[in-house]
Amino acid sequence: MLRPVSTAGEPGNTLTGAEDRLRRIESVTDAALAHVDVEALLTELLDPLRELLGVDTASVLLLDASSQDLVATVALGMEATVRQGLRIPMGKGFAGRVAAEKQPMIIERVDETNVLYAVLAEHGICSLLGVPLLSNGTVIGVLHVGTHFPHRFSDDDVKLLQLAAERIVVATQSRRTEVERAAALVFQRSLLPARLPVVPGLELAAHYVPASRGGVGGDWYDVFTLPSGWLCVVIGDVVGRGLVAADIMGRLRNALRAYALLGGDPAEVLGRLDQQVLHFEPDTMATVLLAMFEPSFGRLHLSAAGHPPPLLALPGQTAIFLDVPRDHPVGVPGGLRRRATTITLPPGGLVCFYTDGLVERRDTPLDGGLEQLSRSVAAGPVDALCRKLIAQFVGAEVPDDDVAVLAVRRQDSGEVGPLDLVLPALPWSLRDIRLAVRRWLSAVGASPRAIADLLVAIGEACSNAVEHAYGPGSGNVMVHLELQLPDVLATIRDTGHWRPPRQEDGGRGTLFMRDCSDDLRIDHGPMGTNVVIRHRLFPAAVR
Amino acid sequence: MTAARVDSSADGGSTHIWVSGEIDLANAPAVEEQIRAAISSHPTSVSVDLTELTYMDSAGMRILYRLASRLHALRIVLELIVPLESPTRRLIELSGFESIAALRPIRS
Repeated sequence: MLRPVSTAGEPGNTLTGAEDRLRRIESVTDAALAHVDVEALLTELLDPLRELLGVDTASVLLLDASSQDLVATVALGMEATVRQGLRIPMGKGFAGRVAAEKQPMIIERVDETNVLYAVLAEHGICSLLGVPLLSNGTVIGVLHVGTHFPHRFSDDDVKLLQLAAERIVVATQSRRTEVERAAALVFQRSLLPARLPVVPGLELAAHYVPASRGGVGGDWYDVFTLPSGWLCVVIGDVVGRGLVAADIMGRLRNALRAYALLGGDPAEVLGRLDQQVLHFEPDTMATVLLAMFEPSFGRLHLSAAGHPPPLLALPGQTAIFLDVPRDHPVGVPGGLRRRATTITLPPGGLVCFYTDGLVERRDTPLDGGLEQLSRSVAAGPVDALCRKLIAQFVGAEVPDDDVAVLAVRRQDSGEVGPLDLVLPALPWSLRDIRLAVRRWLSAVGASPRAIADLLVAIGEACSNAVEHAYGPGSGNVMVHLELQLPDVLATIRDTGHWRPPRQEDGGRGTLFMRDCSDDLRIDHGPMGTNVVIRHRLFPAAVR
Repeated sequence: MTAARVDSSADGGSTHIWVSGEIDLANAPAVEEQIRAAISSHPTSVSVDLTELTYMDSAGMRILYRLASRLHALRIVLELIVPLESPTRRLIELSGFESIAALRPIRS
């Protein structure tokens, strides 16, 4: 027997009794609010309810909005349904019908015809009472209780269960929102680089302030190097909020990294991202700015997908907005061919990237914010600049939108400290050593000829360490570079002593080392080999 | 891992080889093998274009020397194309490679 229940015209005294009984549950609700997860909270709520109504089972199924299934979330007395991940389609079975009709329902005797999959019968349930969980008239789940013996639920029971449902909705909703917000924040934080890469010759800093009201957005930034020695800086903003936006942001971030690895200029890389988004994330839209710094850092190439232009500040000059053509955002179908711009970054120059949350305020026109920004950005220490901008534009307010700021400054050659590398003495390390050495030499302003010579001389010294220092054992090769103006001094050390028989052309490497340095000293000692190479920073002026 | 790319095309009796990227200890054996495969068709002349090679040290020179002596024994003409401003030009000059093969800035 299945009967819908009318709840109109209840006598006042029974309702008072129900409310009285419910007060005991409410005290539990407050205590339970200290819990973080929804399941623990529901268990705290359902346990006393089971006692109050004298029933054997009490279950909450929450609606999965994407699949429109009711998912068993807490089920006292029939825990297996939760463990097995029981899902009831909307409109099917007892819970499905309660949800579809948004009405309380009673089954006085459960049999195979009136419940789905006989799940309830399997658990020995005889009689059932279920009510919908309604939030502003929308079903978010179902609460039902059951007995192992035939039982006639009273109207008072129905009323009580409905009141309990209301409390559950309030508690669950706020808890779910809070949990989702916390999860989105943790997720977003985990996707932002915890530490920016340390790049000799550049100073990098980033600051990020999440929006508080309405949950986090999808702002992100990323800094990574490519095997070719190029440095990529990305800043972007996914349209949307919360966990969904953070999730999409994570995928875009990874896709962009992979596409950058394939090579090409920033316009080509963003073009690939267009295809990815249009195919796999058709409902997504994002603004992205990709800047690719050449290994010397002297020039950068930019392409903007709907993103506001970064600022360039040179020492002693007012910052200007870079003239980057603002192409369509990523995810807009039928966009035209993307464009890339190249700009020169002299030593001491600073580039400031940001998301629109920094300058867009409800109470200030956008142009005003941008003008204020250009006056605030100056070439100087990057961390201080990011802090200053956040203090000035966000202050103590909780922003309506996420705010991300990232600054990159190319150091003057005099500011670059020595370079120290310690890598395993393996062939694969040679490329990494070259990359770091090339970068450091560019940063200190070495001439192309000095760079080419030193790469070969240092490369040969490291190859010797890789081939001859350790034999089958393992060890490291240490590289130290410093300026002793007008020279560059490079020291390459290993701690091995193993020496193979000389090869037919084994001496060529040493000859190259000698030819490519102004002074070369090789010391084989009991503690390893020490190679010291000296080379003019600007050999052309001397030779 | 060091990356290099070897492309080749045969044109009558001539084989043209382009090597781009970088060569060091890590990838020298693989590069040598690819160059060897490119000349397996018994050409009468071989050109190796290093215009796009951005780094090479003695590991790369070793490949060129072995290639040169092998081709010399087979009486196959070898020509190396290395522009004057290219990063590997200086090393090739230092090694005295010009005495065993023609060195040109562009393909003749």
